[in-house]
Amino acid sequence: MNRPKVLQAWLWCVSLWPCWLPHAVPLDCKDETGSFTQCTSISQEKLLDRVIQHAELIYRVSEESCTLFEDMFIPYPLHYLRNQGGNLCHSKPFPIPGSKSEIQQISDKWLLHSVLMLVQSWMEPLIYLQTTLNRYDDAPDALLNKTKWVSDKLLSLEQGVLVLIRKMLDEGILTTSSIFEHTLTPYNEQSPEMLESILRDYNLLICFKKDAHKIETFLKLLKCRQSNKLSCLSY
Amino acid sequence: MRNSGAVLILTFIAKLILQAAGVSPPGKPRLTSCRSPEKETFTCWWEPGGDGGLPTTYALYYHLENSETVYECPDYRTAGENSCYFNKNDTSLWVNYNITVVASNALGKNISDPVEVDVVYIVQPNTPENVTAVVVHDEQGPFVRVSWEKPRTADTRSGWITLIYQIRVKQEKDEKWEEYDAGMQKYYNVFSLHPDKECMVQVRCKPDHGFWSEWTQTTYVKMPNYIPRERSLWILITIFSIFIVLILTWTLNVKRNSMKLCLLPPVPGPKIKGFDKQLLKSGKTEEIFNTLVIQGFPPTTDYENLLVEYLEVYDNEEQELVLDGKELSEDFMKSKSSSDNDSGRGSCDSRTLLLEKCMDGREGSGSDQHQYSQHGETSWASTESSESQGAEPGSPESTDGRAKTWPVVFPQPHHHYPVGAVKPAYHNVPEILNQLSPHATPSNYHQLHHQDIPQQELRFSKSACRHSQSYNQFNLDSIDTPAPGVPPLPSLEYVEVQRVNPENMLLLRPLSDPNREPERSDCTGEDYSKVKVVTSHNILLLQRDTSHQCVDDYSQADQCTTQQPPHPCKPAVHQWNSVMPQEGMRVMGNGYVDSTVLMPSF
Repeated sequence: MNRPKVLQAWLWCVSLWPCWLPHAVPLDCKDETGSFTQCTSISQEKLLDRVIQHAELIYRVSEESCTLFEDMFIPYPLHYLRNQGGNLCHSKPFPIPGSKSEIQQISDKWLLHSVLMLVQSWMEPLIYLQTTLNRYDDAPDALLNKTKWVSDKLLSLEQGVLVLIRKMLDEGILTTSSIFEHTLTPYNEQSPEMLESILRDYNLLICFKKDAHKIETFLKLLKCRQSNKLSCLSY
Repeated sequence: MRNSGAVLILTFIAKLILQAAGVSPPGKPRLTSCRSPEKETFTCWWEPGGDGGLPTTYALYYHLENSETVYECPDYRTAGENSCYFNKNDTSLWVNYNITVVASNALGKNISDPVEVDVVYIVQPNTPENVTAVVVHDEQGPFVRVSWEKPRTADTRSGWITLIYQIRVKQEKDEKWEEYDAGMQKYYNVFSLHPDKECMVQVRCKPDHGFWSEWTQTTYVKMPNYIPRERSLWILITIFSIFIVLILTWTLNVKRNSMKLCLLPPVPGPKIKGFDKQLLKSGKTEEIFNTLVIQGFPPTTDYENLLVEYLEVYDNEEQELVLDGKELSEDFMKSKSSSDNDSGRGSCDSRTLLLEKCMDGREGSGSDQHQYSQHGETSWASTESSESQGAEPGSPESTDGRAKTWPVVFPQPHHHYPVGAVKPAYHNVPEILNQLSPHATPSNYHQLHHQDIPQQELRFSKSACRHSQSYNQFNLDSIDTPAPGVPPLPSLEYVEVQRVNPENMLLLRPLSDPNREPERSDCTGEDYSKVKVVTSHNILLLQRDTSHQCVDDYSQADQCTTQQPPHPCKPAVHQWNSVMPQEGMRVMGNGYVDSTVLMPSF
């Protein structure tokens, strides 16, 4: 009884083998004519630099969004309400150390995975943020645009990190963010009162800014760890 | 009721007493700033609010965002007064710290407002270190190279912190600093600094997300004294001058001919008709002199009339001999063939003053005789005495350009030979001699005597041989008086003008007779020598008369290279008697060489 089943399962796996491949296949690039061609390869060094640039940009934009939101919605006396009352940043699958010494001990592999995890964890909340910001009557357009821009950029950043992982670590990863619980669903259901909503949004922005900073820091650490890059010695 | 009222009143009174005493609970402290120099540790500072007159202590308490646990500051000393230093172990990144400061004294305490701090956002590095500025000498000019080190605490090597730098420069007496961004590099070259001025440099740095550090201490550097080479100015000047040179060249090219005339006036060439200048260049003397010989000239008909000893030259008011600077040949031909308007009169403008013409009018009168002497190239030698008042200027006037020969003849101050026009003036001997005989009135004549006149003699340079032989052509047609005792002469008779005496007499001597014996041996002058013989090589052998003090040797040798052969005898200086032309004639006839004899052989 078991044998045929095992054989069947094995046959299935073999026949579905090609299904595993697309995730390891290089991404298709759209060229000028619109047709899909194989992307021109890029060196690992350059890719890392480009990923770092993305992370830097995302951080800057998130910083500006925070400032905009604060100026618009949060009067100064209420600044102390930040992170109070359980408005914490959503938890992560695995904790990230908070001191330099600990972080320096993280291996390259875990650095990259941490970055990927961070990036993937913020994709949903940013979409949510866009919808809530639209609800405000006097939300500035700049804020909305920035939020949209950031969520787009985050997608490209994720792709870049995946390629990096594949190149540097030689492992393929299933591109899915399903591992993250959609903890934000409760937010969608309720329409909380204004202050609460504002504070929650503010908290989101603050947390995102922090995580963007984390991503950037990790990637820069990774860059200077590359053995062929001696430039960090002179910096 | 009463108790509470009593307590209140007591408290109030106590406060009043305390206030009168000046003590009070501490004022509210305030956290001024928290900073992390390397993203690993951080420090917070506060300022006290007032101690209230009593010793006050301060305590800093914090808690992290996730927990309620309150901690106190671990280190109050490291960072100095009113500060709290968090070391590496106490620092967590990406975590908000909630910090408060409590001031307390005997009377009470006071709590500051809380401050939320995330360490990664408060990074302010230390200042850069070892800022050095050196002057580098370059071909373009010196510049200052500023270099520095990163702050010691910043860990850029592992990539934990990324620093970017900025420098600012100020030269003395400038008001504002010039700021330059240096990026992540640790050096910078500063150009465009003024020479001979002191330069101040400062550097600061900033992490990629954080605050600027403080400026370093000023570093001083002195710029050397140099002269900036303004290349662009020199290029402009060069182009401008080239442009001007081009314009000048073009202008000169256009005006080439007139420039040539202006700068280099044409040198008069030999103007002997029928004479080829190229012959002179070729240097063959035989050819040269061959060309000077015009075949068939002069006519040989009246040869016997040409035998005269000397030529008498006179002038009076009416007549003057004019030095004419026209072409020899053409004038000669003209005057020979056509009747001369000047004949008999003093003008005698024509180039070829023929003795004939002038004599025609005076034949028999004995008063108008013209001496015609002709220079090959330049002019006639004419005799003009001061007696012919006003006539003298006439000669120079008419011969301004031809005045070259005036000095030759006239006893004028500038008794020097004109340059290049040193030609012996030759008078045709026969004609000269012809004139002498019919005229016995010495006073009417300008005797061409050799006399003792001061050094106004005619000197003929020895280079005369280089030039064409000039000779006087005389129309001998009219002369029909043979000189006595004179042997027949060849077709051409030449007379050389020896000197002009004070009475403006041309002293001539015929050159036709090479064989005159030296009858007169007394010689008072030192100017010329009697030719004894002409050798076969056309060498004039001059006679030396030992009885006289003849110093100068004059040899009319055709070959200039031939120096006067050393003679034992000195040339005879012939004394010309002003009284007796007859004598002189004889003597003259004896002592001179007819150059015409020599001519064909030239």
